[in-house]
Amino acid sequence: MRLTNWVYTLPLRVRSLVWRKRQDADLDEELRDHIDRQIEENLARGMSEEEARVAALRAFGNFVMVRERTHAAWAWVSLERLRQYLLYAFRSARRSPLLSAVAILALSLGIGLNAGVFTLLNAMFLRPPTLHEPASFVQLCPRYSGWFTGADQNSSFTTEDFDAIRSRSQTLDQVAAWQQSAALPEHGSTRVNTLEVTCNYFHVLGVDRPLMGRLFAAGDCNRNAAARVAVLSEPYWRSQFSADPQIVGQTIHLNGIPLSVVGIVPADSANFMMGGVILPYTLQTQLDHSRNLLASPDTPWLSIAGRLRAGYTRADAQAELLAILSQQDRAYVMRKISAFNRKTSLVLTNGSFIENPGNHDIVIGLMVLILGPLALILLLACTNVTMLFLSRTIVRSGEIAIRLALGVRRRQLAVMLLMDSLLTVCIGGVLSLILAHRVPVVIMNMADRGQSDFVVLLRPDWRVFGYLAILVIAATAISALMPIRAAWKLDLLTALKGREGAATVRSRTTTTLIVVQIGLSFVLMCAAVFFGRLPGLIKGIDPGFETHHTLAVPLDVNTSATNRAKAVAFYRALEAKILAIPGVESFAYASLQPFNQFPPSEMRLPGQTKGSGQPASVDHVSTSFFSTFGIRILRGRVFLPGDVTSPDASTESVVSQGFAERFWPGSDPIGKSLVTGDDRRLTVVGVVADTRSERYGAIDGPRLYTVRSPTDVGGNLYVRFRGNSKPLEKAIRDAVRVLDSTQVVAPETIWEGLESNAEQAMSLARIVLAMASIALLMAVIGVYGVLSFAVNQRSREFGIKMVLGADRCTIFRSVILRAAKSIAMGLLFGVALAEPAMLLFIHLLARSPLPVHSVDVTVFAVSAVLLTAVSLSAMYLPAARAMRTDPMRALRTE
Amino acid sequence: MSKPSDLVQGTLDLLVLKILALQPLHGWALSQRLKQVSGEVLQVSDGSLYPALHKLEQQGWIRSEWKPTENNRRAKFYSLTRLGKRNLEKEAANWERISTAISQVVRLTEV
Repeated sequence: MRLTNWVYTLPLRVRSLVWRKRQDADLDEELRDHIDRQIEENLARGMSEEEARVAALRAFGNFVMVRERTHAAWAWVSLERLRQYLLYAFRSARRSPLLSAVAILALSLGIGLNAGVFTLLNAMFLRPPTLHEPASFVQLCPRYSGWFTGADQNSSFTTEDFDAIRSRSQTLDQVAAWQQSAALPEHGSTRVNTLEVTCNYFHVLGVDRPLMGRLFAAGDCNRNAAARVAVLSEPYWRSQFSADPQIVGQTIHLNGIPLSVVGIVPADSANFMMGGVILPYTLQTQLDHSRNLLASPDTPWLSIAGRLRAGYTRADAQAELLAILSQQDRAYVMRKISAFNRKTSLVLTNGSFIENPGNHDIVIGLMVLILGPLALILLLACTNVTMLFLSRTIVRSGEIAIRLALGVRRRQLAVMLLMDSLLTVCIGGVLSLILAHRVPVVIMNMADRGQSDFVVLLRPDWRVFGYLAILVIAATAISALMPIRAAWKLDLLTALKGREGAATVRSRTTTTLIVVQIGLSFVLMCAAVFFGRLPGLIKGIDPGFETHHTLAVPLDVNTSATNRAKAVAFYRALEAKILAIPGVESFAYASLQPFNQFPPSEMRLPGQTKGSGQPASVDHVSTSFFSTFGIRILRGRVFLPGDVTSPDASTESVVSQGFAERFWPGSDPIGKSLVTGDDRRLTVVGVVADTRSERYGAIDGPRLYTVRSPTDVGGNLYVRFRGNSKPLEKAIRDAVRVLDSTQVVAPETIWEGLESNAEQAMSLARIVLAMASIALLMAVIGVYGVLSFAVNQRSREFGIKMVLGADRCTIFRSVILRAAKSIAMGLLFGVALAEPAMLLFIHLLARSPLPVHSVDVTVFAVSAVLLTAVSLSAMYLPAARAMRTDPMRALRTE
Repeated sequence: MSKPSDLVQGTLDLLVLKILALQPLHGWALSQRLKQVSGEVLQVSDGSLYPALHKLEQQGWIRSEWKPTENNRRAKFYSLTRLGKRNLEKEAANWERISTAISQVVRLTEV
């Protein structure tokens, strides 16, 4: 019934909205016709002409009112009014085109940056990977409990678990597994991200059509005879092989293994794809000699996803898979592979990063850290727009007062002002789409050197548009808030008289605006200063050991018992070859790598019970370690070749200065005893200087060195040399290849490693710097706008002051002083905002080597000085204008 | 004033529908007929007919059409739609019910 009603009336309503004028004319004609007919009737009854007309009009009633009431019956009156408001807003925007343009530009910048970055984050974190029927795609995220430490951990699956799920699950139609890894291509020295996948991986992901060649066939994943084939991602193929159309059938080398390229997977086939080269997972043992994950019964390494069989829900699958996994758990515990009393729980997700319980918190934190500053930029843009509307409202206060006096309700007035800002924001929003489209691409190019490894499909979806809508609505509301308040509080009497007594209220408003703008831009300034300093910090540190002349040689050797004899032969031969290279001074092994964090182990003094010791990091090093790294010896001696009688039997240890101070404060550590976590007794023979090898620029915690036997294999190899590093890197690379053609290594000095880290930090810093510059620009425009507005409003006050004898300097000083007070308050506000953000950031970076300390005073101080300087210069012009106030003219407006 | 009370407004709609159900009419003719049938009891000004007419049209109960009339004039004729016919029946039944109830109550107090 209601629906048929709508069907009838909708066209009528639309007509009455669109053809307003014709409708009006029609109505007029109709009403006049009625009156004319009544007059004729009256004449026919014998009235005089005048009498007939008067009588007809009297009988008809109030003509204007009838017309108005009929109008009201026509259409949606409120919609009609909205149209008027919008028209009004449009006209008032046209009256001050420059200001409106600035506001729209600021808004489109703010909204565009936000929406653009959100598009990127959405594609990377929020969307499931598959484009094809995402509802049936499930990823399995296991969580282990029962580890002897008592802590639960998010994990992946062992090969056995995968086999069990694949063979027993009824609810999942297809089950695929993969591992993310990296491998060295033939001649490059940077690794390429690889994805080792089961051969139905692409099918489960919903990718069935290769760009060229073929995807994997079931036979490629034979565990006994893994096919040496590879599929390249389209961007990797384009960037590394210049889109070679003859690529299919060619052979490429990864980690020294020849692989035949069978196909190219298109870039737009999945939301994200994490590898540049995709390989059958059965190749894992060949790509990584040191670990055979495929056959390992207790090493989790595979991520698993599948497709729900028609008719089953996620809950069904979860129940079934939990049952399968608890059987697996029982079998695992029965075999007593380790002390791990495994108990697996499971979460099924849609495959996006954010739904994975292991990533969830860090993704949320990252999004807050990235979108937070961007939201600040939008807020800054909003304050600029607020300023525009506020000045318009004040200029129009007379007109608004008249409206109010004529009976316009304040609520209607508020809606009117809201429309004003809605119009501006909407235009800005539409313009921002261009930016939103460009920004993700620019960021990808700026941030990521190896863009071809991690392919993200940037396609806006409902989340992006939803976010955009939220931004627009928020921006409208925020920028309309102050003007509405000003109009609401308008004092009718004074406004109608044309004199305004509300100067104090307004000065509070302008102060608030300046405080907010300074505060918001301070936060962004801090971020920029912080990131801008990072590259310098990374490169400028003195780690306490030689970085320019120490080469790290990453080796990948199978040292398991079955291959031990071969491994020993390889290492000894390599050592001899390296020592023979001209320029090489020494080599050493260490178990820890610089600028990586490793969990410390427990160290006790003799007599202390287990668990009451203190944490210390333990580095298992060869005798030449200290000379190779150039670490200073403070007391006693370091290891001598004679210390090692047999493996694991040596008791000598060397401690760092920090260690000595922690364990034996104030006394000589030489000759003291120590007990390790696994109950070995050690004697301290020497003390060496502290290093800064865990975090950039921060002194390491207590560190203990134990000596390894010269017959040991494995560990990280370092080479000390004289002269230029490049020829040496090549010589070592060649030496390794001659010994074992499957070993492809890329030696680099520790300094080169630092430089590439600094480069990464730099690319991040560039993005933050760009953001902060935009924020600063907006803040400058904003502060300038606010202050010019305030100065204009106070011109009468200045006039009076001048007449009373104030000189121009006094005026200038009073303006600047008041503004400086707002700046100070803004800085305080900024610190209050920046600190929690900083804490969150530190929390997120807890495991990275970046030197972040709780509250970095330098960052705050530098940002504050910069910001103060910039905003004071923005204030100079309005203050100077105040100084030039002509008292006569200012007072004449009275 | 000329604004009819809610009750009368409701009945005005009903009367208009009823009259238009017999034949399509233009505004003036409709007002004449209204006066005639209601015996001048309904004290509404001629003008207040038009908001009612336009509201009924917006509701889709009646439709309008410009048609030529005598000596080269034209007038807007209103006629009932199907939706209007259905509603007229309902409203009439409603009216029947209410007026009976009211008149019974009124009689009751008179006794």
